[in-house]
Amino acid sequence: MAEYWIGDAEGRVLGPVSLDVVQDLVNTGRLTQITRASRDGQSWGPPNVFPEVMTLLLNAPAPEALLQSERQEAARVREQLRTMQGRPPHEIFRLERNASVDAYRNAFFKLVKRFYPDRVRAQAHPDLRKAYADAFQFLSRLMVHIERELDAGGPIRPLPTIRAVPPPPPLEDEPLTPTTLTPLMKTRPIAVVPRSPTPPSRPLPAAPPHQGRYSYQPHEFIGFERRDDRVEVTVRVTARNSGMFTEHPLANLKQGGVFLACGKSLPLGTLVDVVFRFDAERREVRSRGRVIVEHTGGDPTKPHGFGVRFITLVEQDRSFMQQFVERAAQF
Amino acid sequence: MPEGSILIVDDDAFVRTLLRDMLSSQGYALVEAENGRAALALVGPPPNLVLLDLLMPQMSGMEALGQIRDRWPSARVLVITSMDSERLLEEAMEAGAAGYITKPFHPMEIASAVEKALAA
Repeated sequence: MAEYWIGDAEGRVLGPVSLDVVQDLVNTGRLTQITRASRDGQSWGPPNVFPEVMTLLLNAPAPEALLQSERQEAARVREQLRTMQGRPPHEIFRLERNASVDAYRNAFFKLVKRFYPDRVRAQAHPDLRKAYADAFQFLSRLMVHIERELDAGGPIRPLPTIRAVPPPPPLEDEPLTPTTLTPLMKTRPIAVVPRSPTPPSRPLPAAPPHQGRYSYQPHEFIGFERRDDRVEVTVRVTARNSGMFTEHPLANLKQGGVFLACGKSLPLGTLVDVVFRFDAERREVRSRGRVIVEHTGGDPTKPHGFGVRFITLVEQDRSFMQQFVERAAQF
Repeated sequence: MPEGSILIVDDDAFVRTLLRDMLSSQGYALVEAENGRAALALVGPPPNLVLLDLLMPQMSGMEALGQIRDRWPSARVLVITSMDSERLLEEAMEAGAAGYITKPFHPMEIASAVEKALAA
């Protein structure tokens, strides 16, 4: 079987794989930016040097055809969701009625990933985005319900109707701390505007109780972020601006986040890679998170910037940051 | 505490960080590499398990997979990839992978897969 290596715009390589695999990945939109190809992994050329690869790229679905196919896919997913909602959990996951929680989890992971929100391309038809989100939410809630029921000794009763989650309370912010952000990605630059000096601290709201369980929401799933939709920022942390970790009622370290006051905000849900530079401590902490609060400057009483909730933060780093904040508060 | 050494090979530093944090807290010994070439340049005892991304700079996971199997025959390899083509995963299994996990992955999924792979 003929073997191919292919490379993308970020210098990553996949191969050796058969042309069937390349075709599969191109047709499903998994590979969209093939910049080079090879037959031996050593000598590379642009895709047009390889007519068989070029044919695959040229035959990739056109944008209009993709949108049409996404509408059809959305209808299929909605129908699938309706079917799932009317079935007992063990049938949804194709398990025996008395299956173990591990069996349910394994089956859940296989099924739910089909509807992971980031699988939908950025320009996808909104119907598809909504259908995926609804299916994902249903399965996540169902998995949490199954765990509770089996923990309680079973059997698994029907999933109760869940009321919509109420929106978060309005924010009452004070001006926050100076933060220096340096854009690293050319695709999504962030302008930097230093903020006013640190205001007096105020009591933090109590952190929500830790349930010791997963919610199986999309943010708990890692490794499939669209790289073209990610913002990288570098933050120089000093004792003077350490309030970024404490002063926002939602985006603070105790709740697993930070508020970055700067000249621009970012849309809710944006994926952000943050590098915190603690120059005095000669330490660098990296974390990935999502924007959960955006202040675009419309309200002059609120600081311009955005709040991030961390997705990845090593416990040692969290501990170090907490100690840093406590030391800074003594100054 | 579980025993076992795990080599994480992924070009995404945040994925490596997350896996390291998660698995080290369960008692595993972790080593990291950012691509296949860096993984094969490592010295030291063979890992019990390799978590291997497929799409990486310099040396792809598929290329590394064969060489890892040659160099450390006792090591089991779990492919971790966002390229969830059935054909690709079949080819990875034919090339010697013991199993695969598709991205995005959940912490509980990784913990379970690692435990099973090391127990096999």
